[in-house]
Amino acid sequence: MIHLSAFVFYLGALVPWIHLLVRGARRHTVFLASGLTGVAVALHAMALVDFWLTFSELPLGGLAPALSSLAFVGGLALVAMLLLREVARLALGLLPFVLVLQGAALALGIEPAPGDLDFQGAGFVLHVALAFLGLQGLAIASAAGILYLIQHHELKVKRLGRLFQFIPPLATLERVGGTGLSVGFVALSLALVLGWAWTVQNLGSLEIDDPKVIWAVMSWMVFLGIFAARRGRGRSEYRSALAAVIGFGIVIGTYLALRITAEGSGLFL
Amino acid sequence: MTLPLAVVGVSHKTAPVEVREQLAYGPADVAVALHALRSAGAVEEAVLLSTCNRTEVYLHPAQEGSTLHAIERLFSSRPHAVDGSLEPYLFEKHGEQAISHLFQVTAGLDAMVTGEAEIQGQVREAYQQAAILDAAPPLVGPVLNRLFQTALSVGGQVRSETSIGEGTASVASVAVELAGKIFGSLQGKRVLLLGAGMTGELIVDALSREGVQSIAVANRTYARAVSLARKHHGQAIPFDQIAEVLPTVDIVLSSTAAPHPVLTRAILRESFIEPRRHPLLIIDIAIPRDVDPSVGDEPEVFLYNVDDLRTIVDEHVQIRVGAVAEADQIVRAGCEEFGACYASLEVVPIIQSMRIMAEAYREAELERLFRGLGHLAEEDRARVEEFSRRLQNKLLHEPTARLRQGMAEGEGRSLIEAVCFLYGIGDSEDSRAGPKEEEGLPDTAEEGVQE
Repeated sequence: MIHLSAFVFYLGALVPWIHLLVRGARRHTVFLASGLTGVAVALHAMALVDFWLTFSELPLGGLAPALSSLAFVGGLALVAMLLLREVARLALGLLPFVLVLQGAALALGIEPAPGDLDFQGAGFVLHVALAFLGLQGLAIASAAGILYLIQHHELKVKRLGRLFQFIPPLATLERVGGTGLSVGFVALSLALVLGWAWTVQNLGSLEIDDPKVIWAVMSWMVFLGIFAARRGRGRSEYRSALAAVIGFGIVIGTYLALRITAEGSGLFL
Repeated sequence: MTLPLAVVGVSHKTAPVEVREQLAYGPADVAVALHALRSAGAVEEAVLLSTCNRTEVYLHPAQEGSTLHAIERLFSSRPHAVDGSLEPYLFEKHGEQAISHLFQVTAGLDAMVTGEAEIQGQVREAYQQAAILDAAPPLVGPVLNRLFQTALSVGGQVRSETSIGEGTASVASVAVELAGKIFGSLQGKRVLLLGAGMTGELIVDALSREGVQSIAVANRTYARAVSLARKHHGQAIPFDQIAEVLPTVDIVLSSTAAPHPVLTRAILRESFIEPRRHPLLIIDIAIPRDVDPSVGDEPEVFLYNVDDLRTIVDEHVQIRVGAVAEADQIVRAGCEEFGACYASLEVVPIIQSMRIMAEAYREAELERLFRGLGHLAEEDRARVEEFSRRLQNKLLHEPTARLRQGMAEGEGRSLIEAVCFLYGIGDSEDSRAGPKEEEGLPDTAEEGVQE
């Protein structure tokens, strides 16, 4: 029920953001959008704590709880962006992602994992949290990338209307995207190292055909690909934005493919 | 009363940039054009206003009727003039409509950016330029002189008394906003200024306020580039070294008076040994355009010309719409004031004659009085003189004011005739010089008036 409330508030927060986009900047609308987002994230946190207390299990095991936790990390990123006035409008790029994740979690039913989790304890939680942070970094870079590409297009076709006014400057989007990628890459790298160390310590060896491993390594390589795109000759900012959008799509696509095809996927993620 | 004034021209509302750029007049061209109009017998007085948004001729026609064809012939004689007739792009206004148009233009109400401030300076320049031209009689006579003085006054009043100038709706501020949407903060950005156009300088000033790091100035006349660079704490570069500087700058502002593009895609590509990693904003405010439109097809280049700025301007214009009605009221009041002023122009010689005559009587009567009162101290003589001056002013004030009022209300001809009859003005050349000693002076002022 609290999860649903959080979803409703996220949805409610989307309305003033769209209103801002269509009707232009209004101070009270920004406050309303920020307030609703804040309430949604607070409710979401309460829902996850409630899950933990009710089932004596962190909401990281089953697919739906994991998606909800991922959405929550997105919500935290949203709040962080709202505090930075310059990039507050990036929320419009990230909010739909949070909504989709939380909506999917609700649709699947936020239930405890069907079996015991292999890993538990602080190390496991840190590993998952860092992995989520890495994905959120990529999600932020992707959201910034989408807005960068839209703004770039608007500037090129000289259509300087509401959308142009709404979207932050190209340089800001590039900087936010770069920061998201850097933080995400470091977090995901640490998560991989931590995951490998704990697996070796607890199971003796790491199975490279494990869907989790495939997905994690694939995600890490996507980061490398985006960084390579950023360092290439000419149009680096544009290519970086495009690469972040495509890269995030690959990560999500890979996850869905593995989720559908891999065995034992009930515990995957 | 129909005022003998007209305006003919093209503006951003009637003609696209491709036409306007063909009709852009540099300072030297303006003089030639105005002399040509005078020689053709088309105008008594004329002022040519040429900006990036308009080319308009304000004139006091030599004859009644349309002056459209005279101006069309003038415009058609421009080199590279558009093929076919210019008539579809031209507009023509007469009398009060022409006056109202100039006032609206000067107040920024007819500008591409409503409330734009630069136009006031451009109108002043056009007026002054025509006024100093060597012509007999002068190209700016009493009619256009009064018209432009009033227009500049109305423009200033609109800006100071309404919010028409508030918000970022000048070309300069719009350019700065555009740069901000690309680069975010402008701290540390580098600018290349091509040419010495006034609007280009305004944009550089605005960019400087936002913290751009350095400004390179290139001009065909290197000395002018040095002067501008010094003014903006920048660096002057020879015009033929633009390509070498291009890779190092973030913003290019172009406002040269060159008849052909000075920045082409070939030059741009040649200048970039490596493809650009970061965006380059090019603002081309020159008419004719300085930058080949194909430059905008380069991947990281954002090219905007004056017409492109219209879109972003429209947003800002909405903010100022609320002030337009108020500004219109001031313009209407200005038109009425000019109508009254114009009418009063006709009575100025009459009033001058009245004053000259009264002054002559006063001086003559004082002289006669003092001749018989030789014992008066210097101080007392001064008091008597002061008394006579005040009395004369008081006696003349009311008729003068009523005469002006009557002219403004359209009773001009009959009033002038009445005053001339009553004061004997125009009876002879001598009447303007007042009474002469040898003719004998009347015993009273009233008699003098009758005489």
